Amino acid sequence: MITRAREWALAGLLLLAGSCAPAVSAARDYLQLFVTEPYLELHTGPGRGYPVFHVVPRDASVDVLFRRTDWFKVRTERGIEGWASQADMLKTVLADGSPFRYPLGDRAGFTAHRWEMGIFAGQYGAATLVSGYAAVSFNSQLQIEAAVGNFLGKFTNGVIGDIGLAHVILPEARLSPFLTLGVGLVHTEPKATLVQPSDRTEQSAYVGGGLRYYLTRRFFLRAEYKAHYIFTKRNANEEADEWKLGFAFFY
Amino acid sequence: METGLRVLLLTALLAALPGCASWRHKGSPPPGTQGATAAQSPDEAPPRVVEPEVARREIKVPKIRSSNIELGLYYGELSIEDFGAHPVSGITAAYHITEDFFFQAEVGRAKAGRTSFEVLGGGIQLLTDSERQFTYYDLSLGYNFLPGEAFLGRGLAMTSAFYLLGGFGGTDFAGDTKFTVNFGAGYRVVPIDWMAVHVTVQDRVFQTSLLGTTKLTNNLEARLGVTVFF
Repeated sequence: MITRAREWALAGLLLLAGSCAPAVSAARDYLQLFVTEPYLELHTGPGRGYPVFHVVPRDASVDVLFRRTDWFKVRTERGIEGWASQADMLKTVLADGSPFRYPLGDRAGFTAHRWEMGIFAGQYGAATLVSGYAAVSFNSQLQIEAAVGNFLGKFTNGVIGDIGLAHVILPEARLSPFLTLGVGLVHTEPKATLVQPSDRTEQSAYVGGGLRYYLTRRFFLRAEYKAHYIFTKRNANEEADEWKLGFAFFY
Repeated sequence: METGLRVLLLTALLAALPGCASWRHKGSPPPGTQGATAAQSPDEAPPRVVEPEVARREIKVPKIRSSNIELGLYYGELSIEDFGAHPVSGITAAYHITEDFFFQAEVGRAKAGRTSFEVLGGGIQLLTDSERQFTYYDLSLGYNFLPGEAFLGRGLAMTSAFYLLGGFGGTDFAGDTKFTVNFGAGYRVVPIDWMAVHVTVQDRVFQTSLLGTTKLTNNLEARLGVTVFF
C-alpha cells in the first residue's frame, strides 16, 4: 500500500514538474531566425516522416522554441508552430545576417566532445555482464570515466563499479584505440551452493584498452577489455577479465 | 672650461626633459596640451566638431533549450511463465539521440502467483513470499518507425510513432538474478510537446531451472505508460 502511495506521489511530482516546464519557458526570449531559402518547411512532428503542413516564405522570421534531437520546434510570425529540420535551419540567418550555426553530431564531434554515455553487454570472468558508463573529456585525448556493471553467473552474481582515466590514441581517426587505468569496487554474492556463501565487497584496480568506432551522427561502437585485480582478504588476490561490446553516444 | 662643461650638460638635460615628458604621456596626452600640439602641427587633421558615438550592437543569441530526455511511469500486466499473469508497474528513462534512435532504461516489479503444481498440490509452496517478487531492469535501444498522426475528432491531431525495442538486463526472481534479454514494440502518442502516452508490449527471456529442467522462459508484458519530456 505504501509502495503504491509512493508511486502515485512520484507520478504527481513528475506531472507537476512537467507542467512547470512550459510555464517557465514562456517567459524566455527566443532565438529569431530569418529564412533565406525560397521557403522553410514545417513538419507536424520531429522526424522526416511527419508530413509538411506549412511553409515559411523567404525573409520571414521564426522563433526557435526548443529542440528535440535534430529537429527544432519553431513559431512563425503568425503564431503557427511546427518542426523544422536541422539541415533546413542551418540555411537560415540571425538578425545581423550571420548564418545560424548549431553543432551537429559529426566526425569533428567524435574527435572532441564533452560527454559520452553508453551501454554494454559482455563477460566478467565466467559471468554475463550488463554494464553502462559515462565519461567527461578534458580534451580530445584524456577523459575520466565511471562504469557500473551487473554480472550474472552460474555460481556468483554481483555488481562492479569503476572509476578511472582513459587515454584516446588517434582521436581524429574513425577507428581510435584507447587505454584505461583505474580503481573500483566489486560486490560479490556467491550462490548458496558454494562453500563460501557470504556476500563480500572488495577493492579492485584495473588496466585495459579498447577500440572506438564512429558510426554516424552521435553514435559510436565501443569494444573494451579490462584486466581486474581484486584485493581480497583471503590468501591470494583474484583476477578477473572483463570483455564487453556496446553502443555509445556523445554530446 | 668647467663652466662650459656645465652649460653643455645643462643644455643636454634641458633637451632631454621634454623628451621624458612626452615619453611619460605617450599613451594619453594631457587634455590641456592637446590644442597646443594641434596648433603646433598644422599637417594633422583638424579637430572633430561632433564625436560620432557609434557603439557596436551586441547581439545576444538566446540558448535553444533541448528536450531529449523522457521520464515516466507505467502500469500493466506481466505474464510470468508458470506463475500466471499479474500487475506490473515500473519507471522508464529514455534519451533520444536522433529522430530514429533512443536509449531506454527501465525498472519494473510484479508479484508472481502460484504455479499449477502448487494449486493442485494443496499446501505445497515452491517459493517464499519475498522470492515471488519479480523485479527486472533493462537497458534497451529503441528504433522509431512508422511516424504518423492520430486524430481525435475533427479538431485534434497528435503525432505518433511505433517503435521497436531490444536490449538486455537482469531479472531478480525466485532468489536469483538472471541475465535477461528483452525485445518488443510500442506505440507512442504525443498529445502535447512535453508529454507522451505509450502502449508497449515486451518479451523478457531468461534461463531458469526452477521447475526441475533448465529452460528459457518467456515473460510477456503489456502495459500503458505516461512520460514527460525534459
